[in-house]
Amino acid sequence: MATTELHKPGVARPPRPTAKRKPVTFGRIALYVTLSAVSLLMVVPFVWMVLTSLKTPVEIASQDAGLLPEHWDFSNYTEALKAAPFATYARNSFIIAISHTVLNLVIASMAGYSLARIRFRGSEVIFYLFIAALMIPTYTKVLPEFLIVRFMPLAGGNDLFGQGGSGWLDTWWALIVPGAVTPFAVFLFRQFYLDLPVELEEAARLDGLGEFRIYARIMTPQVKPAIITVALLTFESSWNNFLWPLLVTRTDSLRVIQVGLSVFRTENGPQWHFLMAGTTLATLPMVVLFLIGQRYFVQGFATAGLK
Amino acid sequence: MLMVAPALLHAALWIGLPVVASVVLAFTKYDVLTPPQFVGLDNFKEMMDDAVFRKSIVNTVVYTFFTVPFGMMLGLLVALALHTGLKARGIFRTAIFLPQVTATVAIALVWLWIYNPSNGLLNALLSFVGIDGPAWLSSTTWALPSVILVGIWQGIGMKMLIYLAALQSLPKELYEAASVDGASKARQFFSITLPLLKPATFFVLITSMITAFQSFDQIYILTEGGPANSTTMMTYEIYKSAFREFRVGYACAQSLVLFVLLMGFTLVNRRIMGGTRGHN
Repeated sequence: MATTELHKPGVARPPRPTAKRKPVTFGRIALYVTLSAVSLLMVVPFVWMVLTSLKTPVEIASQDAGLLPEHWDFSNYTEALKAAPFATYARNSFIIAISHTVLNLVIASMAGYSLARIRFRGSEVIFYLFIAALMIPTYTKVLPEFLIVRFMPLAGGNDLFGQGGSGWLDTWWALIVPGAVTPFAVFLFRQFYLDLPVELEEAARLDGLGEFRIYARIMTPQVKPAIITVALLTFESSWNNFLWPLLVTRTDSLRVIQVGLSVFRTENGPQWHFLMAGTTLATLPMVVLFLIGQRYFVQGFATAGLK
Repeated sequence: MLMVAPALLHAALWIGLPVVASVVLAFTKYDVLTPPQFVGLDNFKEMMDDAVFRKSIVNTVVYTFFTVPFGMMLGLLVALALHTGLKARGIFRTAIFLPQVTATVAIALVWLWIYNPSNGLLNALLSFVGIDGPAWLSSTTWALPSVILVGIWQGIGMKMLIYLAALQSLPKELYEAASVDGASKARQFFSITLPLLKPATFFVLITSMITAFQSFDQIYILTEGGPANSTTMMTYEIYKSAFREFRVGYACAQSLVLFVLLMGFTLVNRRIMGGTRGHN
């Protein structure tokens, strides 16, 4: 269209209709004000959480205390760590989230690669099975998943038929294995591997590389955005998971941070200063990770939405 | 192929088998301690007489009806505002998306504290303007709206983000042509933007509905279904049947109803939206 001509060098450029730098108008100020208000509404609960975690119980209980703490009291954090084993909870959550991330990256990338780049019998069918698995609601499978864990043969005192003991209940296995691979990660990896040029693969094959080496050495280094996306999303959902760890753990030493928080609430009554300190500790790693990996987080969520 | 085997095996054991087992167990009476007993449609018959479960279906639908469309409307509005190319849009986007990466448990705990009737933030703010706020979560009138508000608040970020990504992929030429033809901004929105956003809208609708239908964490923390079952959801009833009453067969039947409802809504939506899918 005519617009392309206007951008040629030497041609005087009239103001474009969709120019980026608009004059400061009333509408624009209104837009800023509205967005600031919306953003504030989204952030205020977090701010209040942190502020409350720094107040004394007396100040929290008083009706006419201000929003800011009278004096900033960081002892709630050390006290909360003593009142409930938050350090253990956090460590457990870390171990699980890291294991899930590593396992998912390795297993899902291999699956995604072979579904995208290798033609074999039944690959189509397998791909559609993964797509179908994506659509199954958690609640349709969570009860039998629990039963499989409970009746895992030869584990936790169970016999070959899964009777007699407690199976994988209250073990790391139950916390790590069932959530180790997600169909979503397989799907995402496949999409990324599909986009790579065929030449890359052919050159490697001419060099006499085996299929596994082509995957590990040549192709996977090309899909770094997929790796980062899957890593961040896996870590996020693992760290934030609540229902599954709640179901399969009983002992304090295996509790994860989200479950620990909820128990803390019911057992000791709402001791808001401790609870908010604990909640801040549970929230912080995700917020930091989000701020560091924001570009990939946003990209990952958007890709998940539109691919 | 060997490389797909681990993932396939994992999915077969932890997704395939549970789904089949869930369907089978729905027709049994099973308490985990004694072997399951086939009871035919008894679980489903009982469900029809179960007033609390019926209440939970109504609550789930009401919760979804308010969190999804309202959340989508707000998400789209924010996405449109951010799409205008403001300087600080990165900061706004980050702030609005923040609740999405935070655990629902943590968020629910903070809101539990915000809703605290005696010295929570909400009633403190209301008292400034002379309003005596109610005991939000322990009032049968206010508990469900309070839970819904948290749902809308937390979900805006995701909806905004998908709309934003979709808006950025819209062809600019169409808008240029439309402005040349003298179409107003509002006209452009309704006859270009909205129709082109259809695949994104369908996607947001389906994923948000699936999430809304399966809300559990916030109910567990905020209200435990109360007061007087005014906020109980299908997922919470399933949890109660299975892990408080040890009626696994009944719980599986309930989860089957949840699954069928979800599938039904998805298919109806697809019909209404003309079966549009995301582009590749």
